[in-house]
Amino acid sequence: MAIADVEVEREARAYPLRPSPRSTGQPRDLQRTFQLLLATVWLLDAVLQLQPFMFTRGSSGFSGMLHGLATGNPGWVARTIDWNGSIVAHQPVLTNTAFASIQFLIAFGIVWKRSTRYALGLSVVWALGVWWFGEAAGQVFQGGATPFGGGPGGVLFYAVLAVLLWPGGRSDEPFVAARTVGVRAAQVIWVVVWGLLAVLALVGSGRSPQALHDLVANLDNGQPGWLAHIDRISASTFLHHGTTMAILLAVVCVVVAVGVFLPPAVTQVTLVVAMVVFAAIWVAVQNFGGILAGGATDPNSGLPVLLFTLVYWPLAGRHGSSTAEAAVATGAVGD
Amino acid sequence: MGPPTWLYYLFGGLMLAVAAYCLVLLVLSVAARRPAGRDVDISHTLMGTAMAGMFVPAWAFGPPGLWELAFGVLLVWFVVRSIQSVQRFGLHVPHASVHAVMSFAMILMYWFPMGLTSGSGSMSMSGAPGGVHLDSGLGLLLALVFLGSAIFTLASPNKGASHHGTHLPAYAMSGAPGSGPSSGPHGGPDGSAGEIGEIEAHVAIPWLEDLSHVVMCIGMAFMLILMI
Repeated sequence: MAIADVEVEREARAYPLRPSPRSTGQPRDLQRTFQLLLATVWLLDAVLQLQPFMFTRGSSGFSGMLHGLATGNPGWVARTIDWNGSIVAHQPVLTNTAFASIQFLIAFGIVWKRSTRYALGLSVVWALGVWWFGEAAGQVFQGGATPFGGGPGGVLFYAVLAVLLWPGGRSDEPFVAARTVGVRAAQVIWVVVWGLLAVLALVGSGRSPQALHDLVANLDNGQPGWLAHIDRISASTFLHHGTTMAILLAVVCVVVAVGVFLPPAVTQVTLVVAMVVFAAIWVAVQNFGGILAGGATDPNSGLPVLLFTLVYWPLAGRHGSSTAEAAVATGAVGD
Repeated sequence: MGPPTWLYYLFGGLMLAVAAYCLVLLVLSVAARRPAGRDVDISHTLMGTAMAGMFVPAWAFGPPGLWELAFGVLLVWFVVRSIQSVQRFGLHVPHASVHAVMSFAMILMYWFPMGLTSGSGSMSMSGAPGGVHLDSGLGLLLALVFLGSAIFTLASPNKGASHHGTHLPAYAMSGAPGSGPSSGPHGGPDGSAGEIGEIEAHVAIPWLEDLSHVVMCIGMAFMLILMI
């Protein structure tokens, strides 16, 4: 090996994010990249779980927060949430340490290739548990599961992503989400999710004229100045326009839902629209899940929705010119 | 009941462990007269020691101004290395930039300190004197960068490269410690070079180097979340 080659090789190893001269030409495994992004979100959740208030009892602690979620739900739902809250209240340190450990386990489990499947499986189970006991089923039974506020629950997207990013499948599918479950199943999941978001935008208390204003008006407590300023603008903009905004969001969701059946160029436009809208909601309405105010357990639905949208991004040169054609092609080979 | 004291002692202990490990690597590289990777070793030793003092105040020492100066110098050093890397290899994200961001975060932690006080089996936190505190948006952004760095470091096929892949020349060239054309004694001025190389082969284990970086990243992200 020539001295120059050795130098280049050494630098390439010292700077791993730069494409290595040995690996140039090899496409990045996008499914793996998205798995690692999901692991990063789980790691963030694990670290958030270690915040001091999570270990404390009382109304300002984690158990108090859980008990508070039960209010307004049907009796049988509220009882299960209260039951969980009581366990946490009795043993706050033990339960919270266990909760954080499980999330660390999921994050690191996804990273280690031999345990990726187990970790993703655990993440589905854990996400569903958190959705029910920790998010009160996303407020669905309360009628307040508007996507503006994070409905039907940010953690549900973790579960959906775990399924879509399950290792394996064909690497020549038209988008990453189709690799394991196939194009048709991935499209069905997409339509169901965005259809559900459209419906939730229009039903329940989320569509009332004041709903959006009330949602934002109570958020600026403890937020940094710049975010509190955005909140005040949002609150005044949305004042009395909750219904209009809900209808607009529903229309966007429907357009995005059908977007995956259109030619890739149009699909890309609809995906960009979806990402811009939900990024705006994440910042201006969800306030990053309340993390910046120091009392949050996760980043709410904005971040996972962005990740969910990206796994449907059409990949160049895969399976013909459109995802619809790809579905036919995949069907033809019996996928 | 407040948060458990053991959690902060656990993180403080882990930070000290990283500092001690990187100090050993630093001593070995000095003994072998090989400068490669020393900057990261120095950086992690200082960061680990400083972070331990933040998690467990009783372990803190030295004037904050001196620590700020040290991390300021490291910040400039890693920024320069990042620029050199980009100039040499074109547009990419140099690994030195992560260390630059870590040095920047350390400076912020000294500028906006959080008071950790212990008592009756728990610790409580108080804001910085004068009510000024780190912008929580910046804190979250930095925490996300460190958590992402931890995950992608663990997943990297180039084990050890995230920390200082060039520390062991044999590894740097062949991808595996102890093999390749330079796997014998290297760099030492006397007969002890062979022994140093042997010790180094047992200590500078690529996955352990990665682990030290991951622990440091998670510790810093946790501290930043606490500061929010």
